[in-house]
Amino acid sequence: MLQMTHLSKSFGSVQVLRDINLRLEKGKVLVIVGPSGSGKTTLLRCINLLETPTEGEMSVGDLQLHFDQGTKLRKSDILALRKRTGMVFQSYHLFPHRTAVENVMEGLITVQKTDKNQARLQALEMLRKVGLEERAGAYPFQLSGGQQQRVGIARAIAMDPDLLLFDEPTSALDPELVGEVLNAMKALAAEGRTMVVVTHEMKFAEEVADKVIFMDNGLIVEEGTPEQVFRQSTNERTQAFLSRVKGNV
Amino acid sequence: MSDRQIQIFMESLLPLFKAGVAFTIPLALISFVLGMILALFTALARISGWKPLALIARFYVWIIRGTPLIVQLFIIFFGLPKVGIVIDPFPAAVIGFTLSVGAYGSETIRAAILSIPKGQWEACFALGMTRWQALKRAVLPQAARVATPSLASSFISLVKDTSLAATIMVTEMFQTSQQITATYYEPLLLYVEVALIYLLFCSVLSYGQARLERRFDRYHAI
Repeated sequence: MLQMTHLSKSFGSVQVLRDINLRLEKGKVLVIVGPSGSGKTTLLRCINLLETPTEGEMSVGDLQLHFDQGTKLRKSDILALRKRTGMVFQSYHLFPHRTAVENVMEGLITVQKTDKNQARLQALEMLRKVGLEERAGAYPFQLSGGQQQRVGIARAIAMDPDLLLFDEPTSALDPELVGEVLNAMKALAAEGRTMVVVTHEMKFAEEVADKVIFMDNGLIVEEGTPEQVFRQSTNERTQAFLSRVKGNV
Repeated sequence: MSDRQIQIFMESLLPLFKAGVAFTIPLALISFVLGMILALFTALARISGWKPLALIARFYVWIIRGTPLIVQLFIIFFGLPKVGIVIDPFPAAVIGFTLSVGAYGSETIRAAILSIPKGQWEACFALGMTRWQALKRAVLPQAARVATPSLASSFISLVKDTSLAATIMVTEMFQTSQQITATYYEPLLLYVEVALIYLLFCSVLSYGQARLERRFDRYHAI
């Protein structure tokens, strides 16, 4: 479903991703962990081209992209890629001027050109999935952080993407609200959705991930099952990081 | 006030209002609507990232903001005929005011667009929207809320600025008050009277602005 080969990304002279190689099969969940500044969010944002890699290859489904400095990507490729992916943001980025259900309808109407009534039905179904059907008419400011993030998830899955991307979806939440968001994500994983999740929730990673990547300094330092990375790692940097976030395991 | 003055005051009300309804209000309204369209495109040109277009927009804003409105009106109405471009008073005034509103309004709109968090664009892009769709569906509706108080002020200013059209032969309200003054020699009376009518018009607009802002308050910006 997702493959990256020799992918690199620089901001000016600062290299934030170095020679990234990874593969993710359909229906699997990949969790990316690592200290802040390790490049994990940039890696995630490269997948839907919110950041453009400077070098390398990437494929999502049947769409293949080649990056090198100087050549500009075709707009049609960018849009095609984004239609295959959905993203959930750390600070939700809901549309504040639209109600919960309108937030979920937005992509259906504007991008998929779904008829408004049909879009509303689909959106309500998505809200039901994340347990928020009865808050459909609420504006984002009337919702708790956890509820807002669940609307964010509903908005992403409404487009039925092949690949779901989560950028630290619980980092902005009060501790008591984290569970409801993680539960919604677990339900999606159980449905067999392909997911890439950047998170500090080690317990979630252990339970849900098929594959874990540990990143540091723009490199993939370690890669394996949660068991391999979290329990059996002998890598110094991995262990140092894990001992710092142990509270979350 | 003497009986004569009261009589002049009462008799002047109708012609002044007529001039207001026939010229001042249409002049302000037409110029504002056209000016807002111009302002939006100028703002978009400036943030488009396409250099030549941004440069043209900046040049236009520079010229209009750096020269007095009354001088611009004189150039359009008295100056252009020298090169064969003759424009009637009313359309000449519309052109002058539109250019002015467009330049100042573009700065307001540009600032409002830039005030919308980057995350709103990214949320749209992640859904597969184009830049134009993101602008139309998410950014401009939120920017409109931000820009409303400033743009409403511009509109109120414009209503008063239309009195400058008196200098290029538009028989709007102020011009009419001057004509009546010339007949009766009651400058204090007539100019206070016309000031009160401007005040009335602007008060209605302020009320409209408050209503509009309340409507936007149904959601909070995050």
